[in-house]
Amino acid sequence: MNLSQIDLFAAGAAVLAVWMCGVTRVKTQLRGLLLQTTLLAGICVLLSADEHSVHLAILGLVVFLVKALAIPIFLDRCAKRMGIERDSGANINPTLSLMIGCGTLFLGYFLIPSFAVPEMMNQGAAGMALALIFTGMLIIITRRLAISQVIGFLTIENGIFLYSLTQTRHMPILVEMGIVFEVLMGVLIAGVFIFRINRSFEHIDVTDMRGLRH
Amino acid sequence: MNTFLLLAILPLLMACLGLFSRSVRWLPWTGAIILLIQLPVAVWICLPAFSGQIISYGGFAIDGMGAAFTIITTLVAAASMFQAALVLPEERLKGHKITDRRFCFFYTLSGAFILAMYAVPLARHIGYLWIAVEATTLMSAPLINYHHSRDSLEATWKYLLLCSVGIAFALFGTVLIFAAQHTSVHSASMMLNELMLRAKDMDPRLLRLGFVFCLLGYGTKAGIFPLHNWLPDAHSEAPSPASAMLSGALLNCVLVAIWRLSQLLSAAGQTELVRHLLVPAGAITVIAASLILVRQRDLKRMLAYSSVEHVGLLTLAIGIGSGQLFILHAFNHSIVKVALFLMAGGILHIYGTKDLRKLGGLLKTSPAWGIVLMAAGFAIVGSPPFGTFISEWLLLRNTFAAGEITAAIALIVGLTITFIAITSHIGRVVFGHERKIAQSPIRLWVYAPVLLLTISLIAGVAVSPRVMHTLMTLSQLRVLP
Repeated sequence: MNLSQIDLFAAGAAVLAVWMCGVTRVKTQLRGLLLQTTLLAGICVLLSADEHSVHLAILGLVVFLVKALAIPIFLDRCAKRMGIERDSGANINPTLSLMIGCGTLFLGYFLIPSFAVPEMMNQGAAGMALALIFTGMLIIITRRLAISQVIGFLTIENGIFLYSLTQTRHMPILVEMGIVFEVLMGVLIAGVFIFRINRSFEHIDVTDMRGLRH
Repeated sequence: MNTFLLLAILPLLMACLGLFSRSVRWLPWTGAIILLIQLPVAVWICLPAFSGQIISYGGFAIDGMGAAFTIITTLVAAASMFQAALVLPEERLKGHKITDRRFCFFYTLSGAFILAMYAVPLARHIGYLWIAVEATTLMSAPLINYHHSRDSLEATWKYLLLCSVGIAFALFGTVLIFAAQHTSVHSASMMLNELMLRAKDMDPRLLRLGFVFCLLGYGTKAGIFPLHNWLPDAHSEAPSPASAMLSGALLNCVLVAIWRLSQLLSAAGQTELVRHLLVPAGAITVIAASLILVRQRDLKRMLAYSSVEHVGLLTLAIGIGSGQLFILHAFNHSIVKVALFLMAGGILHIYGTKDLRKLGGLLKTSPAWGIVLMAAGFAIVGSPPFGTFISEWLLLRNTFAAGEITAAIALIVGLTITFIAITSHIGRVVFGHERKIAQSPIRLWVYAPVLLLTISLIAGVAVSPRVMHTLMTLSQLRVLP
């Protein structure tokens, strides 16, 4: 019933994250992020139905509204106003990045025994959470644009959220809300800085920011 | 509850004034006065902890560590805001295009930043601890970008991204520690005192993993080598009062987070892991920072790398489990480093550059500045009459006593190289060829550093076995399970 669906949703989120590694259009990437976060909010709702917990339902709703809707839409607006469409990738090209991304899924799967909590039903979700964290790092490393790095950071954050949802008997709701709030604040501040970078450098390519390397 | 409100009210007032005031003329001095009043308030609030009394409310408590670091943070913030009142308006007159809006916003952010820094050492809930550390990142990032130059933007972006990603790892570590309670019969909790009570029943595998991730995350924020990459950029690009707060207060606060978690691990019987991770990390940080210090060409970057070195020393103190030395050295380092960063602001004003090759002959230009800079330079490398000497000496002795011979030798090598590097750099600024100056030095600006150095001198003379004993009881004072 629900329990296998949770693993399925988690795997879906991780596969979406891997797919995002190979995408160059920022808009498509943001859609991937939206879907990925929606799946996590879905897990929240499934768990709340399973455990009859109102807190989890509220958390799922907040995560959906803030992390799945508000943040991607905000980033999309930013990209549109700066006229950014594509991120061609920095050190590694997107196709190779996609392959390495697939590798992170395996890595996550193999690390299940050392990271999963034995009593929990959704062992697989722990591996997928790790895969999300690795993929987020991969996106940060392999992309050029500041906006893609924010997307990578959000993917890492999603991985941690997935882990805390499926492997613990739920963190205090105040802490979860605090984390969502901080992520929102962080993205807003990052958005402001991306605008500033775009204005003074006339691009947001972080690999081209090297004034401080002494 | 009231105590915490009392502690928060003045910084909050400053933040609101910055947000709502339209006049730039009186804001700097109001800010300085608010923080100068905050200093006795904070000391008064923290005083009960010195007599063994803990005030706690919800997820926050003023225990020994919390009290010590609240006082240090307030002292640093007061000195920085006082100097800001002198420096920032003057800087605005001379060239730098800073709008009124941004100028007021500096005070809003400083107030919020100070509040976030208070929350870190006072948190006794690992979730709130994480939220507070992340809040310090978000509040201080715009402070670094005060000048809106290309370099400061680059530094800010690096700071924001690296620290956020680093802190995300600390969040993962926090979740892992929370998850490690699955083997305990009690319901899971995030309160440190409850965690310590059941530390022995926790799943050691997840607890150890959690600690490693937290160390990675908070270590990035504290600037432990090789995660220090963002630190010199951020600390050198920020305006001097903000650099002083970043170096003198924020680094300490984050190290308190590492201290708290190391205590938890010790309670779980994992002291070995803490020591095996933190002692080498500290020693390597000291050596690496000292080597990088040799080739510095920028005054503020040099000071930033010196902060990295002291973070290494503090990490080592945590690693050998010596809370009293952690407090003592954090205090000594903070006051001297703040004095130096505030003076760096003045030197930047005098010469119009912070390039070490273009600085020189300060003693001839202004004997007062020259002498004070020299004294501060001697203080930061740990020369005898100053407090830093005592704490570095005790740290070295305790490292030997703890049986960490390799680390102790690394410490001696690192401290020697640092001594040579910093004294030669600062010696050139003070005694070197006289260079062209942009503006004449302002005598008034040197008073705050002089006061801080005097405190450091007193701290150097006053440390006695009794003081160390008080600090030890203070560092062990915490909310009991």
